[in-house]
Amino acid sequence: MQQFDSLNYFTNSYNLRIFQIAEERKAGKKIVGTFCLFVPDEIIFAAGADRVILCGGKNDTVSIAEQYLPRNICPLVKSSFGSIVNNGCSGVKSCSHFGMIDMIVAENTCDSKKKMYELLGDYVPTYVIDLPQRPDSPEALNYFLGELDKFKGSMEKLTGNKITFEQLKKEIESLNETRKLLHRLYELRKMDPTPITGVDVLKVLQKQYFLSADEFKKSLHMLIGEVKQVKAEGDHKTRIMVSGCPMAGGNTKVPEIIENKGGVIVAEESCTGTRSFWDLVDEDKDPMLALAERYIKIPCSCMSPNNRRIDNILELAREFKVDGVVYYTLQFCHGYNIEKYMVQQALKNEGIPMLAIETDYSDSDVEQIGLRVDAFMEMLS
Amino acid sequence: MISVGIDSGSATTKAVLVKDCRLITHIILPTAFDFLLAAEKTYKSVLSNAGIAETDVNSVYATGYGRNSIKFADRTISEITAHAMGVYHLYPDVNGIIDIGGQDSKVISVNGGKVTDFLMNDKCAAGTGKFLEYTARALEVPIEELGSLALVSKEPASITSMCTVFAESEAISLRARGFKKEDIAAGLIESVSRRVAVMARQAGLKQNVAFVGGVAKNAGIKAALEKELGVSLYVPPEPQITGALGATLINYKLK
Repeated sequence: MQQFDSLNYFTNSYNLRIFQIAEERKAGKKIVGTFCLFVPDEIIFAAGADRVILCGGKNDTVSIAEQYLPRNICPLVKSSFGSIVNNGCSGVKSCSHFGMIDMIVAENTCDSKKKMYELLGDYVPTYVIDLPQRPDSPEALNYFLGELDKFKGSMEKLTGNKITFEQLKKEIESLNETRKLLHRLYELRKMDPTPITGVDVLKVLQKQYFLSADEFKKSLHMLIGEVKQVKAEGDHKTRIMVSGCPMAGGNTKVPEIIENKGGVIVAEESCTGTRSFWDLVDEDKDPMLALAERYIKIPCSCMSPNNRRIDNILELAREFKVDGVVYYTLQFCHGYNIEKYMVQQALKNEGIPMLAIETDYSDSDVEQIGLRVDAFMEMLS
Repeated sequence: MISVGIDSGSATTKAVLVKDCRLITHIILPTAFDFLLAAEKTYKSVLSNAGIAETDVNSVYATGYGRNSIKFADRTISEITAHAMGVYHLYPDVNGIIDIGGQDSKVISVNGGKVTDFLMNDKCAAGTGKFLEYTARALEVPIEELGSLALVSKEPASITSMCTVFAESEAISLRARGFKKEDIAAGLIESVSRRVAVMARQAGLKQNVAFVGGVAKNAGIKAALEKELGVSLYVPPEPQITGALGATLINYKLK
């Protein structure tokens, strides 16, 4: 598969971004840390603040978290928490951005995260947006809109800036552009053979909430320009869609195994995938209402019922002409682990094979996963 | 056409020699530390068993956990596909396979030798040969005798720990409470078969199910699984070699 020069920007951007955040802070800009797609960047940016994602994808800080948290909760929560509370005593280093935030903007999604936020409040000021979890009830939208209004107020208080109608409009348009760019990139992946690997795309998506919106867009433009040049030549490769839990920065374990075993990932139904950009914000409506409507529809497994996710998976499987689905979950992520059954049934009805992989951040099961993926590839060929 | 299939498992290495799709001979040796060394030894033994020179072998196929260590293999294949091919060769009408090996157990749903779905146990020893090997120690019973011992039990003890180490201490505490050896043995065996039966039902295995792998030699497990699933299981005369056999049939076209 072709190497793209512009990808270097995404993969080597860490130090530059840290430098940028440090400069911003010096200039008095507030930096918030987020964990989740449900927090609208538009409101943060409209208040003149910047944001950086705090989801941990590294195994090293998990053991630090286990001094505080139970062992049997998901590795994403443990890795993130460990990175934030890390005081260096154990000889493990956290990535620098975990120490550069003025406020955490959290959201009530899964139980582990909710409870982690309660503890995090002792380390960093933490604001929690509540989330109605029956998204299709008529009351839910109003309630969520109220929560976003309160959040807007808290951002104004943090930054001392008033969030105006015009600024919100501008940020909505700007982030819609990002979403459209990602759609263009995904459109190119529909080619057979697909022009770019899933591991490459994942590394891009992992930077979506790390880089500033402008930098991300600029790099995405360059990447699309390069990918567009690739001609669909060569043999069909087994097309895989990954569906399930997010893969936070530092975690590329399963996609690497899939692509080393001869498959190619053409779509990810994940927070580090389509869930982050699939729907646009309606630019013709009142900005706050449009934001509430768009964000409440994110098909996260904390929602109930979550049929929207099943429909979306089937739609993606057809659109991207996938040969099989790898259902990826993190250990102890109850929402996505339980939804596995419904997804499996829905895919079975469509005649699409599925392989379920439940794992953590350690490398202990690389061989076992490799065997399952090998057998799955043999089954699909 | 002479081909050799080697199944490099965690506990044992199996080799078969096949001539024109017919099984000539097989050999099973302990794997010990070095996968490659065990594979070489098994390869040489199977050749001398068959009285065939290495130069007469057309191809060598490898499968099993250590398959990628076997440098002299011409091709490798996952043990899931290999078992499906091997079992299909023996029982063409089979729809499902249960394989319990040293460190994992798998259930495979098949149609005409082709894998349509499969499940493997999670990454621990529950539901594997290791579980039995380990817990048999707590009963001071050689692993080969655990199955026949369990068959005489009238009231199997209930073993609820999924963790192998905890199940061992559970067995010891049952011993201390005066439970009969055969009842504890039966409890351990039921625990493994319950675990595997859950996977079998998940994969939709209903009839024409084969039982392979080292643990299939254990009559107690076979009986417990049959009871649990309500089917009678096909067990090949040598259930440990279906993977190696299947590996030699890689290039065999399925209808």
